[in-house]
Amino acid sequence: MSNEKIVEIRKLSKTIGNKQIIKNLNLDLHKGEIIGFLGPNGSGKTTTIRMMVGLMRPTEGDVLINGKSVRHDFEASIEKVGVIVENPEMYKYMSGYKNLVHFARMHKGVTKARIDEVIEQVGMQNRIKEKVGSYSLGMRQRLGLAQALLNDPEFLILDEPTNGLDPSGIREFRMYLRKVASENNVAIFVSSHLLSEIELLCDRIAIIQNGELIDIKNVNEHQKSRYYIEAKPAEQAKQVLEEIGFSVQPHDRGYLIDTEPEHIPGAVKLLITAGIDLYTIQPHRTTLEDQFLEMTGGGEIAQAHTK
Amino acid sequence: MLKLIQNEWMKLWSKKATWVMAGLLIVLLFASAGITKWIGSTSPAPEADWQEMATMDMVMYQDQLQNPDLGAAQTDFYEQQVAITEYRLANDAAPFETESLQQQVLDSHLMLSLVTLFTVIVGAGIVAAEFSQGTIKMLLTRPVKRWKILTSKYVTTMLFALLFAVITIASTAVAGLIFFGIGDGTFLVWNGSEVVEGSYWAEALKLSVLSLASTWMIGTFAFMLGTVFRSSSLAIGVSIFLMFVGVQVVFLLQRFEIVKYYLFTHTDLTQFYTGFMPVPDITMTMSLIVLTVYFLIFMVISYWTFAKRDVTA
Repeated sequence: MSNEKIVEIRKLSKTIGNKQIIKNLNLDLHKGEIIGFLGPNGSGKTTTIRMMVGLMRPTEGDVLINGKSVRHDFEASIEKVGVIVENPEMYKYMSGYKNLVHFARMHKGVTKARIDEVIEQVGMQNRIKEKVGSYSLGMRQRLGLAQALLNDPEFLILDEPTNGLDPSGIREFRMYLRKVASENNVAIFVSSHLLSEIELLCDRIAIIQNGELIDIKNVNEHQKSRYYIEAKPAEQAKQVLEEIGFSVQPHDRGYLIDTEPEHIPGAVKLLITAGIDLYTIQPHRTTLEDQFLEMTGGGEIAQAHTK
Repeated sequence: MLKLIQNEWMKLWSKKATWVMAGLLIVLLFASAGITKWIGSTSPAPEADWQEMATMDMVMYQDQLQNPDLGAAQTDFYEQQVAITEYRLANDAAPFETESLQQQVLDSHLMLSLVTLFTVIVGAGIVAAEFSQGTIKMLLTRPVKRWKILTSKYVTTMLFALLFAVITIASTAVAGLIFFGIGDGTFLVWNGSEVVEGSYWAEALKLSVLSLASTWMIGTFAFMLGTVFRSSSLAIGVSIFLMFVGVQVVFLLQRFEIVKYYLFTHTDLTQFYTGFMPVPDITMTMSLIVLTVYFLIFMVISYWTFAKRDVTA
């Protein structure tokens, strides 16, 4: 990952009617990094992405791709971008190959050899001459990825790419995406509400809620070593642990302590000698999901109730 | 741009519906010639020969010329017909029979309303379908400005209309040849100073090109509706409704000045060469200006909505 910026989102706002859907969004993406774009449904993910690729016009602000404005210099800015917005809808009445030829003609310098190369990359050689209407959803996703790769993009934008795929399909798609990312060294911007998905794929995560960017974090930094302890009598256990200097937080039916693994055997011995019954002790990992829900206050659920 | 048109052309002909339309057009044209043949063979031979018919026509033409409401184009037309008919009777030059290749070709422009119908279907759907299929987002996230994409779609619609017009004339000619064969008779025209023999192919081509103005306008109208409302069924419905009702409204508005600015007063450009004009005091130049203004309005609305629209489909 270099520090060279490929995409700069500048003061992006979108107002529809009198509702401000996106509020002053700022974000930089760097070459070669995979960024997750996370938010509950209706938070403005898709609107942001649509503004990035010129499908929607920002009310204010702009998006620069490779330094060129999507608003004012559309053709140049989008030249090296590959896009999948939600499900890649193809012309069902044409073969996969003809679909690719169709999109290839809309870019400069995509040769027949490049089309074949992309087909091979997504492993579709056998079915490419068949009509898209006969493809499974997984096949269509792969064809969607193929069309996004035709112009040898430096930047891929994927909006909910795994929507509607079954677990094996999701895994397969992730595999292809990884392969493609490493083979072509592209920056990827991927939106999703599937947290585990983002966690497995991304270097950085931008979290959006109600049209505002509320956090940007690196995936690896949030893993602190924590342990969960369940013991009885609980009060007494807490006392013992606090006495030896752990910070203790109640969690579930027991407590959480922040500590490194080497301190655990000592703590266990102390608890046992104090005559406390130990039921559970295990490493506690906050998943991204917990953090996400914590940050957005369970946005989806809250919204559903207020409607 | 050529590649974009190539794309649209490929998509158009990858649809079964397009081939069905082409097949239907050819079948209808052959059927129409076949029915003419069948009616001709079952009804008794006409009692009058062509000279008697011509004499009767002559009386009708001269009658018309007495009409004080006649427009300039109509007066020209009837005067020419009188001259031509006089020439026929004097020189024993028979016109084509209805049941001949020549007359079928001359009348082929009457079948171009079928082309209009199919053009409406294609024009209404060519943008709307991209929205309903969801492919519009794949199309608009390419390094191609929106107006270029819309232009390629419009040009494709018009190329389709042109191709179908050619198919119409060619099928009529082939059907005419098969069912009737080449008949006797001569085709006469007034060249400005005297009656001379003319090419019926050139005349057929002239009338067809003039008829295509209506295809062009209604096709453009359907294209606009499809672009603005993104619903091909709505665009097809409204366009076809107007295609039939629009012309009738001319008769309702006949007495008012506003009829001169009404689209359907001008869509039939052949009226200046066939003598039948609901509003007699218009001229070809006027019609061309009105059509151009309507065309520009339709185009501006189409381009403006297509370029500005937020794609949320």
